[in-house]
Amino acid sequence: MAATALPPSEGALARFLADQSGAERVEIVGFELLAGGAIRHNWGFEAEFRGGRLAGRQRLVLRTQGPTGIASSLGLDEEFAVLQAAFAAAVTTPEPWFAGADPAICGKPFFVMRRVAGTAQGRAITTDSALEAGLPRLAEHLGRELARIQTIRPPRPDLPFLPLVAAPQHIASFRAYLDQHPQPRPALEWGIRWLETHQPEPLPPVLCHRDFRTGNYMLDGAKPTGILDWEFAGWGDPDEDIGWFCCKGWRFARLDREAGGIADRADLYRGYETASGRRLDPERVRFWEVLANLRWAIIALQQSDRYRIHGEDSLSLAFIGRRATECELELLMLLDHA
Amino acid sequence: MRDLPPSRDLLDLAQRLSADELPPTERERHAHLVATARAIAAREAAAGDAWQRKIAQELVEFYDHSWRPGESRDPLHGRSTGGDMGPGFRRDDTANGTGRGAGAQDLSFRLAADLRNGAFETTPSREKAARAILWRLVLAKLRETNPQFLAANGFE
Repeated sequence: MAATALPPSEGALARFLADQSGAERVEIVGFELLAGGAIRHNWGFEAEFRGGRLAGRQRLVLRTQGPTGIASSLGLDEEFAVLQAAFAAAVTTPEPWFAGADPAICGKPFFVMRRVAGTAQGRAITTDSALEAGLPRLAEHLGRELARIQTIRPPRPDLPFLPLVAAPQHIASFRAYLDQHPQPRPALEWGIRWLETHQPEPLPPVLCHRDFRTGNYMLDGAKPTGILDWEFAGWGDPDEDIGWFCCKGWRFARLDREAGGIADRADLYRGYETASGRRLDPERVRFWEVLANLRWAIIALQQSDRYRIHGEDSLSLAFIGRRATECELELLMLLDHA
Repeated sequence: MRDLPPSRDLLDLAQRLSADELPPTERERHAHLVATARAIAAREAAAGDAWQRKIAQELVEFYDHSWRPGESRDPLHGRSTGGDMGPGFRRDDTANGTGRGAGAQDLSFRLAADLRNGAFETTPSREKAARAILWRLVLAKLRETNPQFLAANGFE
């Protein structure tokens, strides 16, 4: 929750949109800072395009960097390129339109995409009784979406900046972070050691969204309208996003529903396996789910550092580090059967 | 041993930030976080430092009599070990708002280093004892920070 965020300059943005779309003129009707987005700011707005390829009234989102970020997030132009690749691969995602860096518009790089309808709020999605009957189908659909994302594979000349992050790199980065953290985290160290000694054989890398979860897809009624927040994307193991989706941290009000708080794993797996033609191995998924808990714990601590070290006044950021302890409990529950 | 930032910092921040400056979509969440900060502070005040003292004592007992092959050598809390803890492990002599002195902090760092290095993996009784400390530490922190999460996972 940012204390304040200044809206983009209407005039400069209107000129930029007119240039990019070939419109004679663009008129912007107010801005609204959208909820969510711990690292990016998202400004929703409507614009009337006179002429050009977007002629008519459009609902848009301008996405830009927040005051501080975390090291593993992509640059705005890079995230835009990933979004373009995903959209081209027929992933259900907001259509990316234009990227820019003119400081007169919002003082930092940004991109503009179509605003899709619906809500992404995890708690609402996992508690809305009206959605209940459709949730298994939604999980199956999301499994198919994930398989579609994974059709994007290296090498890709349009995505040369994407890092390959396999299990050993994750493990090294977790330890590097803990080495400079002021508090000992023995439960995390224990979990990381388990990862180190239980690594599965790597599979050929695919595009990993790396934040594919409930809370990051838009739902309009029961219909999925867009997968959001591609800022952590990179090349990695095909099971990484499955483990992340099932991680307890993203089940919101329904911890018992292991596929993102919305359904049984079987529903998600069925959609994924049917679309990808690859059968999931529960032991591999378990490894990546343990890794997801550790990664979420480290991200939570890093987010809290934005308040603790970098002085970003945000109660939400200050609090989030405490969620690392929830991940520690889950690690103990997953790994300590004694 | 308590999580950072300390609850007093959370309360200070909550008082400093006005909900009026936030977008309407964030105000409800802000109010929830303010209430949560107050509840954590109240639970910490009620608990005092009893559980931290208890876990510190368990760590002293765990490491008390001898070190075993593979474990980092730090027989006395508060003493510098000269680099046996592994790269990057810090031995901060301040409590960092965690409510305990350097001794408990050092032994917690030592436990973390030993777990990283798999020091107990060939001694099942030591490994089991280390895991028991982890459980108590994590449960104690969550009783203060998020008892609802504990309850949702079947813990009191």
